[in-house]
Amino acid sequence: MKRMEPLKRAVAEALKEWDGVLALRSAWGGVAPHLFCREEELDGLALWPKYPLPRTLQLIQRAHPESRLGIVARGCEERGLIEMAKRNQIDLERIRVIGLACTAEEAQICPCSKPYPSILTDMVIGERIEPVADKAVEEFLAKSSEERLEFWKSQFSKCIKCYACRTACPQCFCPECTLEDALWVEIGRIPPPFPSFHLVRAMHTVGKCVGCRECELSCPAHIPLTTLYTLIRREVEELFGYQTGESLEAKPPLVLPMEMET
Amino acid sequence: MVSVGQHENIEILSFSEVEEVSGYVGNFEVKVRKKARYVKEELCNGCGLCQEKCPARNIPSEFDCGIGSRKAIYMPFPQAIPRIPVIDKVNCIYFQKGRCRACEKLCPREAVDFEQEDRILDLEVGTIIVATGFDLFDCTRAPQYGYGRLDNVLTSLEFERMINSQGPTGGKVLLKDGRVPQSVAILHCIGSRDENYNEYCSRVCCMYSLKFAHLVRDSIGAQVYELYIDMRTFGKGYEEFYKRLMKEDVIFIRGKGAEVTDVAERPREEGKLIVKCEDTLLGELRRIPVDMVILSNGLEPRRDATQTARLFGLSRSRDGFFLEKHPKLAPVETASDGILIAGACQGPKDIPDTVAQAGAAAAVALSMMDMGKWTLEPSIAQVDVERCSGCGECLLACPYKAIELVEGRAQVSETLCKGCGTCVGHCLPKAITLLHFTDEQLVAEMQGALLELEVV
Amino acid sequence: MYEPKIIGYLCTYCSYPGADLAGTSRLKYPPNVNIIRVLCSGRVSPELILRTFREGADGVLVAGCHFGDCHFINGNHRTAKRIPILKKILEYAGMEPQRLRLEWISASEGERFAEVVEEFTETIRGLPPMKEVLR
Repeated sequence: MKRMEPLKRAVAEALKEWDGVLALRSAWGGVAPHLFCREEELDGLALWPKYPLPRTLQLIQRAHPESRLGIVARGCEERGLIEMAKRNQIDLERIRVIGLACTAEEAQICPCSKPYPSILTDMVIGERIEPVADKAVEEFLAKSSEERLEFWKSQFSKCIKCYACRTACPQCFCPECTLEDALWVEIGRIPPPFPSFHLVRAMHTVGKCVGCRECELSCPAHIPLTTLYTLIRREVEELFGYQTGESLEAKPPLVLPMEMET
Repeated sequence: MVSVGQHENIEILSFSEVEEVSGYVGNFEVKVRKKARYVKEELCNGCGLCQEKCPARNIPSEFDCGIGSRKAIYMPFPQAIPRIPVIDKVNCIYFQKGRCRACEKLCPREAVDFEQEDRILDLEVGTIIVATGFDLFDCTRAPQYGYGRLDNVLTSLEFERMINSQGPTGGKVLLKDGRVPQSVAILHCIGSRDENYNEYCSRVCCMYSLKFAHLVRDSIGAQVYELYIDMRTFGKGYEEFYKRLMKEDVIFIRGKGAEVTDVAERPREEGKLIVKCEDTLLGELRRIPVDMVILSNGLEPRRDATQTARLFGLSRSRDGFFLEKHPKLAPVETASDGILIAGACQGPKDIPDTVAQAGAAAAVALSMMDMGKWTLEPSIAQVDVERCSGCGECLLACPYKAIELVEGRAQVSETLCKGCGTCVGHCLPKAITLLHFTDEQLVAEMQGALLELEVV
Repeated sequence: MYEPKIIGYLCTYCSYPGADLAGTSRLKYPPNVNIIRVLCSGRVSPELILRTFREGADGVLVAGCHFGDCHFINGNHRTAKRIPILKKILEYAGMEPQRLRLEWISASEGERFAEVVEEFTETIRGLPPMKEVLR
């Protein structure tokens, strides 16, 4: 199903009521985030490649707290918005989501647990498809403990500590980052000593990572970060019953006392 | 107890339960449920007419260990303060069937009130003393002694009530069929000093067992056998009392009673209870036929000690009694400032020791209240607002709800914070630190500790 | 011969007095564990644990109060959630998760403490030194 035309119509409609809609436009052979404020601008609307919009939306909202904004969001972006809202980083009251479902092709390149939004909006442009299995994760699970260690040692040895993964992540909104603190990650060593940088980051994804893959897509060393984070997300669901990004009400998994009677 | 009841600075809340405790030393908030006794306390003068006339009789009396009986409207025991009865809803004919109300009609002060309801009191107190006492070891857990199955096997408390002149038998020692026993065996350490039940010594049983021996010899002159492991007569005048009993022709057998049976093996055992034991001084197994067996059962933490501990934030020692701050240097204090313990709830002890601990707890409480100020632990959490993202996760992690968001950043309340550091352990950007247990300090300690382990 | 180096983070009101009791009771346990006292087991962050491994600890023991007995009401609940997920992360990273152990030890469980140290030291002894793993 073609999404461009229906999306343009939905955004045009929204612009009648809202101050602007954040989406992607074609730029420099790729895409760039753009706050569409007038219908005329919609000629430049783009859909691919994917680019994470939640943090950009946060910036705009901070600068203009009274504004009423829309955002064209894929499934992962909706999940990102939910986890950000839960942590007081964004005010969803003044935001409307225009949902965008990923195509089967897109989901092949970028597999995730739910390639369409379903919680913050009923309006979803495009056909909702079944999630695509993540082959990289399945392959990884077949590895033995020694193989896994070798795998990550060799992958993390490529890391140049550019912090792109951290910067691209919609959930990394802390003013100061633990990963830049010498107390936890030794300064002045490339690659950062195994496994401090990456396992601290991995622990920080608990209850926050929504599987948008932006970390992996931005990593210049092509480290398959999502493989690790997807497995962690599954464990979080199994251990705590917490589906990251799927519920506005559910509190972050590690902070509350256990429900069980003791 | 009477002087306590009359003291102007003491308010007795009887028939009441603590439901909730919150706050901290000097500022505790305690929610108490004053249960309805269906008698107006301000009108009743304790004349006891209601008790006399109540037609619901033969209810086993809890105070008399089920040996005696009481009415549905009753005072728990003769010396009860306040001297006001309570109506037992379960056995009261009015509550069960809607008839009677004799007590209401007959009360000269019109003090009976069937409509009375529980009241919730919210108390603000500075200190709390927990003196909730003990329970006795339940002898049905040791079926080898025949308690509950064989007639004339009594627990210590049952015998205590029997021999009490205000008790159900008027102080007469009697067997179930009304005869006076000719011989009595007193078995020490039932449920105590025993891997199968409680490993600790219950401290008071040797003395009360000797007391029973003396009272039996004195009142009915029956032959008394005392079966003991060790004789723990440690206190003032205690050893002298033991010596005296030896002169009163009490037969002391050094060997714990192993079994009580009614199966006779020879004619002289017919119709008797036979106590089987090993007499370790003689080096022989013995069968001792007696008419009555008294089980000197030991002291245990109260059955609801777990709930009480949770309510007041008390820890428990291995034996289940409440844990003191330090066994030698702080026997009445606990890890929670302002909450003190005294008496058998802290560990088995007799009356002199309990009174001493009560005085100690009162003294500690008084000194706290006298000082008017309390020194807080300096370890509290602090937020570096530059690092804080306002995510609010620490608010949920804090067991005391001591953190709130102020202008979008976390802020810790210095009085509520107890310094556990749970927020610190969680905070992702490490925006919150725990004074005196900072990350730098812990890392330095850890590095030193690892260096030390190098030479292992 | 390889002697494992184990760091234990013990809480002040339950596990630390428990370890103390093991000491005053003269119970024998291996000298491979050095204890660092924290106020509550909830203080122990994943970053601290990872740094402890990086500094050369072959094993990390985190000990707190039994559920319901935490002096800080329920700080230990958060520990109970944090440690298992960190262990899973270690597992996915190919590092043996049994190097990180969470125990509940009360102030009166001196014997339990000695037992845990004994068991844990043996477990760690059977694994390669952390320095080799991290090389």
